[in-house]
Amino acid sequence: MVRSAASPAPALPVLKGTLDLLVLRALSWAPMHGFEIVSWLERAANGSLDLDDSALYQAVYRLEERGLLAAEWGVTENNRRARYYKLTTAGRTHLRAETRNWMQYASTVTAILTAGKDAVPAAGT
Amino acid sequence: MIRSDIRRAFLLALRRRDRWEQEVEDEIKLHLALRAEALAAAGASADHAYAEAVRRFGPLDESRARLLDAARHREQHMQRTEWLADARQDLSFALRTLGRRKAWTSITILTLALGIGATTAVFSAVSSLLLHPLPYPNAGRIVLVDKQTTRANNTGIDVSISVGSKELLAWREQAHSFEALEPYATSTMSLETAGEPTELTAALVTPTFAAFAGQRPLVGRNFTPADLRAHDHAALLGESLWRTSYGADPAIVGKPLHLDDSIYTIIGVMPASLRIPSIVHREADVWLPIDLAGDTSNSGGYSVVGRLRTGISAATATRELDALLRRVPLPDMNPNMFHTRVQTPQALVPFRSSLILLMGAVGLVLLVACANVAHLVLAMSASRDREMAIRAALGAGRRRLIRQVVTESLALASLGVAAGVFLGWAGLKLIVALRPSALSELSAASLDSNALALAVVLGVASGIVFGLIGAFRNARRSPNDSLKSAATSASHSRRHEHARALLVISEMAMSAMLLVGATLLVRSVIHLEHVDLGFDPHGLYTLKVDLPHSRYADSIAVGVYERQLADRVRTIPGVRAAAATAVIPGEWYFRIGGLQVQGEAPPPTGTTQLIHFSPVSPSYFKTMGIGLREGRVFEDTSATSDQVVVNAGFARAHWPAGHAVGHRIRIVYNGKGAWMTITGVVADVATMGPMTQASDPMLYGPMPPARPSALVRTQTKMLARMQAANGSVGQLRAAALSIDPRVRVTIDPVERLMAESISEPRFVMLLLTSFTVLALILASVGLYGVMSYTVAQRTREIGIRIALGASGGRIARAVVGRAVALALAGAAAGLIGAVWATRLIESSLNSVSRTDPASFAIGATLLVAAAVAASVVPMRRAVSVDPVTAIRAD
Repeated sequence: MVRSAASPAPALPVLKGTLDLLVLRALSWAPMHGFEIVSWLERAANGSLDLDDSALYQAVYRLEERGLLAAEWGVTENNRRARYYKLTTAGRTHLRAETRNWMQYASTVTAILTAGKDAVPAAGT
Repeated sequence: MIRSDIRRAFLLALRRRDRWEQEVEDEIKLHLALRAEALAAAGASADHAYAEAVRRFGPLDESRARLLDAARHREQHMQRTEWLADARQDLSFALRTLGRRKAWTSITILTLALGIGATTAVFSAVSSLLLHPLPYPNAGRIVLVDKQTTRANNTGIDVSISVGSKELLAWREQAHSFEALEPYATSTMSLETAGEPTELTAALVTPTFAAFAGQRPLVGRNFTPADLRAHDHAALLGESLWRTSYGADPAIVGKPLHLDDSIYTIIGVMPASLRIPSIVHREADVWLPIDLAGDTSNSGGYSVVGRLRTGISAATATRELDALLRRVPLPDMNPNMFHTRVQTPQALVPFRSSLILLMGAVGLVLLVACANVAHLVLAMSASRDREMAIRAALGAGRRRLIRQVVTESLALASLGVAAGVFLGWAGLKLIVALRPSALSELSAASLDSNALALAVVLGVASGIVFGLIGAFRNARRSPNDSLKSAATSASHSRRHEHARALLVISEMAMSAMLLVGATLLVRSVIHLEHVDLGFDPHGLYTLKVDLPHSRYADSIAVGVYERQLADRVRTIPGVRAAAATAVIPGEWYFRIGGLQVQGEAPPPTGTTQLIHFSPVSPSYFKTMGIGLREGRVFEDTSATSDQVVVNAGFARAHWPAGHAVGHRIRIVYNGKGAWMTITGVVADVATMGPMTQASDPMLYGPMPPARPSALVRTQTKMLARMQAANGSVGQLRAAALSIDPRVRVTIDPVERLMAESISEPRFVMLLLTSFTVLALILASVGLYGVMSYTVAQRTREIGIRIALGASGGRIARAVVGRAVALALAGAAAGLIGAVWATRLIESSLNSVSRTDPASFAIGATLLVAAAVAASVVPMRRAVSVDPVTAIRAD
């Protein structure tokens, strides 16, 4: 999966602030360590993300500080010591609310971008 | 950067910081490895895969720094959150614990509150009097200057001889010790407005005074020498009067002011912050100029405030002024008769030594309270050995346990401080309410933050320090020991008990000192209240009438008024007797010089004794109720009268065998003095109140009649004896006003004047007694605590004794005996201390020696009685121990 050549879609630029939401989403399935989160995001985006891997850790630390994530040390399948992150209750609530906001925002933007000249909404929200 | 260091040390243990740094490194390493593996699995070469992993991670050094930073931030935040959560948990646990021990908690809080409250109240009151310098620039160099008679003052009363204008001018010109010397005086004047005259305070100062005090007029201008020369009655208003009576009128300058029947021109307004030296914080209503140069009589009696030059001591200044006094003698004044006195402004404060004494006493109360808090906390920590041991066994770290103790102490202290501040506030109000009139400006006292801080720090510190001592002691021992039966820890708690016994003994000692002091003062005041004054103040009233100089400019007018007043007062029904007099009870009058009896050698030249000499009218003796012992009262009241009446004390001192009548005496001043013939001897009376000796020599001469050449009296005084107290006081006033409705009349019952004369010892006695009661209560609480603890610790032993046949009486005696032993140990130390400490109250004692054995005995007895009272409840508990339960316990 080398970004330059093999990816079927262009790298997705991550909007400021949305990275937190993506990380929370990744962890909504199961506790993961850092690289698992990156891999999941890349898989989910069907390509690579246009950001440094280190930025993800920064986001994770930030979320941990805010009490949305909790960390504990665990062991990977290959018997390596890794720091596993999981959603806290607060994190789950936050994810739900932010997802709803994001959806609304995205659909509104979409509606505007697809509206005709007389601004008839393309679809109900 | 110390702050961040401290913060880090506080929030993060070093061990943990190492850990999170390592964790970030590990995480980066793992990430790179996993990414490289994934790339390799997709077909990349090992070298290329790792390089690509690093590239995707981002610039390594920079990213690592960023991540470490984020991680540090996260750790700090989480530590803080955790710490807060712990603190909240500790606090709620502490409050639950305190709530469970309601009695102990309330006693501790009350102890703290009483200590803090009493201390802040008294320190606030005293510091508002003592510690505030006069509000002038370079306050440290401000001094008060007056004169004293050269010979030792034989009256026991502080006599300040004011400074005349000529002397002051000479000092101002020639004394090098002073940057400035400012005369001042106050006067009560009547302000005539549309309605009736109102009384106001005028301050008299020179034109340079405002600059001396570092102030300037708010409106208009200051006095100038031209104002003095022109004699045009210039006046400056005080800011308050200007605001209240003139609505802060900016155009006030030039308006007239009717003062005492004269018209002054307002030339400006002085700010409220301009004050003459006085502990009375009231500002002057009106400022009037002193014309030093124009005052040729040198009679003007001024108080003087000065500013010393830098580096000049008060002693140096005194020497220089004394030398000037000798070198530039003024006519009609023997320079050897006086010396100057230069003192700090604190001399203005009345009762200074008493106030300092009270501060000391309340300091003792605070110490007793701190000792009490200390051993209450120690007792608590001892009884919690097991609880702490269980918590330690359950995994609470030593830090956590200590933190718990500190949290508990702080919670307790906060409650104590809150209650203490309230008590301090209430106590200050009480002191202000009880204050004697001489301390009138106490009413401006407010809670002193320094005093409060000191009391809070001491109280809280004693709680925390002793809490920690207990906690460390617990922490040092293994939980295993504590969990074993109480018997094994007996020796350990015995040592603890010794510490607490020592604390109680020291509390008892401090209480004993206070008890002795308070008993001495109470006995002294009781004595003062029962002193036979020699006359009956009941039903006796003084009447003072201020005659404005403008309408009573000559002695004839004054004389006419006085005769009319005497006639009218005598005709009031209910007035049994009335007399004009120059001196009323509570005041005193003296002549300066040396006394000579005819036929005896004249007194040494320059003798300046203060000789009591009361100018009175013949009916004075009847009105006062002073019995005639020998001869008759003087009859000749003319200006040339040479008749004099002496008191029995005077007669006894000079003619022990009696027959004083007919002898001739004179008061020699500057080599001169007219001879007077003794016409009668009257009984001794203490007109200055119970603190003075009735038998002190006293001379009564006829009041000089009003005659044109004499100094004009501005105040007429009369004494009236009424049939019934309060009966015709209104009629007295009406009589004075019926002659002239525009004079100022003051009427005082002599009973009150006499009571006021002992207000200082009474005030000190009241406060000292309340502190003593406070200290005794606190010490008893402490003793009660120790005794209860002892009984609780020895329940088993007591049970065994009872089982072996010890009677209840024997057990009771043992308990009470122990309490009395502690009290006696304290009393012994306290009484020894009192022998030294009563020196401090010696000056406040009257007719009671400071080593009065009765007072010492009473003090010790009260202490032992308190000890017995404090041991009653523990004693009952000991007696009612059920041997079966006690022995089976544990």
